[in-house]
Amino acid sequence: METDSVRQKAGPTPTQLKNLRMLRIAVCHPDDADGQQMTQQLRRIGCHVQAFWPPLPVLPELTDVVFLAVRPDSIDMNFEWFNADEGPTIIAVVNYENPTIVEIVLRIGAKATLPSPVRSFGLLSALVVARQVHGDLKAQKRQLRKLSGKVLGVRRIEEAKNVLMRSRSISEAKAYDLLREQAMSKRVSIEEIAQTILNANEILSLGKT
Amino acid sequence: MANKDPVRVGVLYSKTGVTSTIGKSQLQGTLLAMDEINEAGGLDGRELVPVFYDAQSTPAVYAKLAERLILEDKVNVILGCYMSSSRKAVLPLVEKWNKLLFYPTLYEGFEFSNNIIYTGAAPNQNSVQLAEFMTANFGSRVYLIGSDYIYPYESNRIMSELVLQRQNSEKVAERYVALDATEQDFHPIIDEIRDLRPDFIFSTVVGDSAACLYRVYAEAGLDPKTMPIGSLTTSEAEVSQMGGAGIGHFTSAPYFQSINSETNLRCLERFRQRFGADCVPNQCWEAAYFQTHVFANAFVRAGTDDPTQLVPKILGSELDAPQGRIRIDPTNHHTCLYPRIGVVNSKGQFTIVREATRAVHPDPYMVTHSMGDWAAELSTLEL
Repeated sequence: METDSVRQKAGPTPTQLKNLRMLRIAVCHPDDADGQQMTQQLRRIGCHVQAFWPPLPVLPELTDVVFLAVRPDSIDMNFEWFNADEGPTIIAVVNYENPTIVEIVLRIGAKATLPSPVRSFGLLSALVVARQVHGDLKAQKRQLRKLSGKVLGVRRIEEAKNVLMRSRSISEAKAYDLLREQAMSKRVSIEEIAQTILNANEILSLGKT
Repeated sequence: MANKDPVRVGVLYSKTGVTSTIGKSQLQGTLLAMDEINEAGGLDGRELVPVFYDAQSTPAVYAKLAERLILEDKVNVILGCYMSSSRKAVLPLVEKWNKLLFYPTLYEGFEFSNNIIYTGAAPNQNSVQLAEFMTANFGSRVYLIGSDYIYPYESNRIMSELVLQRQNSEKVAERYVALDATEQDFHPIIDEIRDLRPDFIFSTVVGDSAACLYRVYAEAGLDPKTMPIGSLTTSEAEVSQMGGAGIGHFTSAPYFQSINSETNLRCLERFRQRFGADCVPNQCWEAAYFQTHVFANAFVRAGTDDPTQLVPKILGSELDAPQGRIRIDPTNHHTCLYPRIGVVNSKGQFTIVREATRAVHPDPYMVTHSMGDWAAELSTLEL
């Protein structure tokens, strides 16, 4: 009983799967066999689907995912929702695999591709993987922005400490305490106090060499 | 002059191997329907002729034989397959050559092919109803036991999520045995069940080893009144292999032999006249039977078995099947069926204790099943 048979095979259902029926999806594709195959399969899966062609410069509000036909005449296609921070997850539907088409796929920020002719099998996996990748990427971007801010703040505190140490001839520990006391009494972050000191120092140093 | 050539149809079930009990019954259900069709004058005067191969309960053999049916026997339509692995083996071939497979078996959902018609139950037509019934009557601490392949994994995931929506629920354990498991393999399982005392056991053990599970359970003296086995796959056929050990256990399925309708009783009588008591009619037998008629009706309307022209005549079509009037859903190629819950009685038959009053639409891509869905509500007959 300690071997293979004990492994849990019926794991919890991933969130991306549970959320499938809440997704609002735009299929930007000509109304041909591929376009119909996609909308029908997405409806079977239970997503909210609208079909458009040509692609819309502005998407319906709250669109989560766009299946976008990328074809040779898409070469100049450019919309604001490509690579937008809060833009939809884009899945490129391609009928060529040459560098021209692949370049467009990368440029529009597609998170998955669906080859034409479209089959019903494979669409769900592409959709779920693209949503996961896009979601992870967004979360990482947010995290990165937060960390960049943090690093910048730490550097400002260092510089502000140096200003205080030089101008008042105090130790580093003392300079830090001073910053912290100021931050507490003014109820702002220590990074902001540091920035204020750096700004003031810059002004006071005007004209000096 | 009208075409009087026979119409040859591929028939691909397993007469040998671990799932041969159900396979043989599906074959005979198919042959019964073909006899009826031919006795009634065939397909517009054309005789319907089965081209049968034994797939030996082995996916690779299914693939090889499906290809032979398509390339050498030149059939356009195949009636067949039981385990999901066998269907997955045939799927790419019917898609590649644009042929049509009728699949008469309950399965775990999450599939659609333009080249397949699914006539067995999807999880929203059997699992939800079973979870509702078992938890309401016995409690929500469930022990999961299944054969080691994809159908049990997915069925167990669905069952766990349903049961865990209840208060005081718990997945007590989840165990898998080989497809050819024998009684010996179930001894440690039953020992553990005796120790852990779940409220009920959910079994997705298929094939001949299903009978072993129930027999070992009975020999251990466990009581189905307090800790029954609930199943989606244990049918009259498996029960007949148990020698009484099935009594008191539950199954959720759209068809039981005990359905008291004219259509069913007449069908069973014709079956016994034709085949005797060799095979035991069950839910997969019934699906194999009625899907052959669905095919024949569509053929007559289309005038051909070329899938491109045949499929539109199948979609949306209805038929008085032994379980009730079924309909092929045009959007997902699955079938509107009648969920039922049965308990095994002393005659080896199921006493039906819950029954859907209306056909339930198939929803093969349902990820999150929930209890208390109105579509899953069944009327109480007994208990």
